[in-house]
Amino acid sequence: MSVADLDAPASPAGMFGLRDVAERALVEDSADVIVIGSGAAGATSARVLSAAGLEVIVLEEGSVLSAPRSDMYTSFKHHWRDMGLQAAEGRAFTPLLQGRVVGGTTVMNGAIIHRLPEPIYDGWAAEHAVNRSFSYAELERVFDALDRELMVGPAPDAVFGENNRLMQLGVERIGATGNRIQRSVSGCRGSAHCNQGCPTRRKQSMDVSFIPRALEAGARLYYQCRAERVRAKRSRAEAVEGRFVDPVTRARGPRFRFHARRAIVVCASAIQTPGLLAASGVGRRSRLLGERLQAHPGTGVVGVFDAPVKMSFGATQGYESKHFWHERMKFEAVGMPLEFAAARLPGIGPALMQELASFDHLAIWGVQIRAEAQGQVRRGLFGGTSVHYDLTDADVERLKLGVSRLIQMMFAAGAREVLPGVHGLPERISSPDQAAPLAALPSDPRRFHCIAAHLFGTAKLGLSPHSSVVDLQGQVHDSPGLYVMDSSIFPTNLGVNPQHSISALAWLLSERLAERKAP
Amino acid sequence: MGLLPFEKRWLVSVITCLIPSGASERLPEGAADLPLERFIDDLLAHAPLKFLLGLRACLWVVSLAPCVVLGRLRLFHQLGDEEQLQLLTRFKDSDAYLVREMPLLFKMVGCLAYGGHPRIQARLALEPRDETPPDWARTASQRAPETPGGDS
Repeated sequence: MSVADLDAPASPAGMFGLRDVAERALVEDSADVIVIGSGAAGATSARVLSAAGLEVIVLEEGSVLSAPRSDMYTSFKHHWRDMGLQAAEGRAFTPLLQGRVVGGTTVMNGAIIHRLPEPIYDGWAAEHAVNRSFSYAELERVFDALDRELMVGPAPDAVFGENNRLMQLGVERIGATGNRIQRSVSGCRGSAHCNQGCPTRRKQSMDVSFIPRALEAGARLYYQCRAERVRAKRSRAEAVEGRFVDPVTRARGPRFRFHARRAIVVCASAIQTPGLLAASGVGRRSRLLGERLQAHPGTGVVGVFDAPVKMSFGATQGYESKHFWHERMKFEAVGMPLEFAAARLPGIGPALMQELASFDHLAIWGVQIRAEAQGQVRRGLFGGTSVHYDLTDADVERLKLGVSRLIQMMFAAGAREVLPGVHGLPERISSPDQAAPLAALPSDPRRFHCIAAHLFGTAKLGLSPHSSVVDLQGQVHDSPGLYVMDSSIFPTNLGVNPQHSISALAWLLSERLAERKAP
Repeated sequence: MGLLPFEKRWLVSVITCLIPSGASERLPEGAADLPLERFIDDLLAHAPLKFLLGLRACLWVVSLAPCVVLGRLRLFHQLGDEEQLQLLTRFKDSDAYLVREMPLLFKMVGCLAYGGHPRIQARLALEPRDETPPDWARTASQRAPETPGGDS
């Protein structure tokens, strides 16, 4: 099977990119609601608002994924923000992975589905009064609807894959519990290419689910369309301005001005949303805009097995353990493409080539932690954004414990060798005892190679304009008609993969918006 | 931001040291067997400025390092294979975070090119893989023009 043999995606009717408007001096359009961003939050909001009979325009900075390729570089270049090279700065660099494509990060993620954990909701209710806006029962109703629409189910036997099966074995043998991951995929063929954009388009990412549904209901989507600021008229948000820009060639197209009769909904992500609000001169009263960035940093451990593992087949991420969730950590199998795995291997030169030659025998599992660290998003020196994020000592201790448990699982599953990827440990260990020095290493994040893919809290919601950026309906306190519905408004991180929670909040808040009287 | 022609040669020499040819029976090709300069050109044309500034700074440090680390009055690309590897191993094992991240940065860049090429993926029997090489690996006449506003 080759990628070229596979079906092309659905026709982008109702979608307009740079080439459609290149000849125009200024692009203008209007609708009841303008949604900025087409990821889990934006696409869900567009789907709910258009189904409620409102005229919706969606703006997306990225392009359309029309013919996924299997190499990561092409994927990075076309569909990831800053070519996948965006990183938070602290004592260590932490790559921040975000999609920049119609469908947002849902196009590039592992399609992992989790409901907002009830203890997290309870904390939000106690400290941020979210119960005055929505109950957990209302969230459950939306989660049920999302499950149906996104075809959520566990990774099936036929495409479970050896990397996932071995992790199940390791988890069970150390006496922990685990489960097949619930994923939003219909008819997965196990190509293990979730991170490049599903080559068979079976993953129910937003570009094949809620965006087409919103378009069918009459929404229009402008892509390669970078929102720069929100304009207000008599203090009410009424227009979005920006420019069409090709995200790959950086070729500049015409400027645009889109008018909103009822509302503007920002769903640009916890990194981009604060910048857009700041550039629009709103949301700054509490001094929390861009502050309190939270994340789920994670790192991976490589196991070498005698029998082939073949990470290149199976659900990219099909098995997990939440057994230690109360300790703020969660474990997942991570089927990495060769390019990612290669960079994670310890060798250089001939040693690296030997490691690559045995790629078939490698398994990779990761730990992600619900970190306490809080970072900041600022305007960058070279344009764009600059992110500062530094793990606390307690976070690093959790990482150490998490890596130590992964090593135990690997050996329990029969790994011949484990490559811990921690500076201060041997590059290769052949028994769990050899990982013992890990506990005594200093709490320094520079000893690990972490990435962060789940980002929250930079425009958090709450009752008071003095302690939050948006109110409990998602409306920016000092800007009537301007809403934020992405993970920026989450008061804290979750400890689980957030796509479903992001969609659920956007769904609920969009329902409320649709019910509101027009101004 | 581009690299000067000599800087590009430096970068090629670092990557080919990290991903050498003929070191494995199953993977006889190394980075030098791919059109690495075209990959570098493509990367330089599209990567964010901050990354490119970092890459350039690391390249200068590694290129000038033989003098400090090995006591040899030569540039990195003028060293023999073994000395190059010895130098990068010293970097990789350093207790200084920024120093040991440098070979990793070059390895990441090299592996994006190497691991994503269908010829290498075919050697490892990875499926599914693309029938055609990525854009950067095609000759100018094979390459589709980069039309502003085109989908991908």
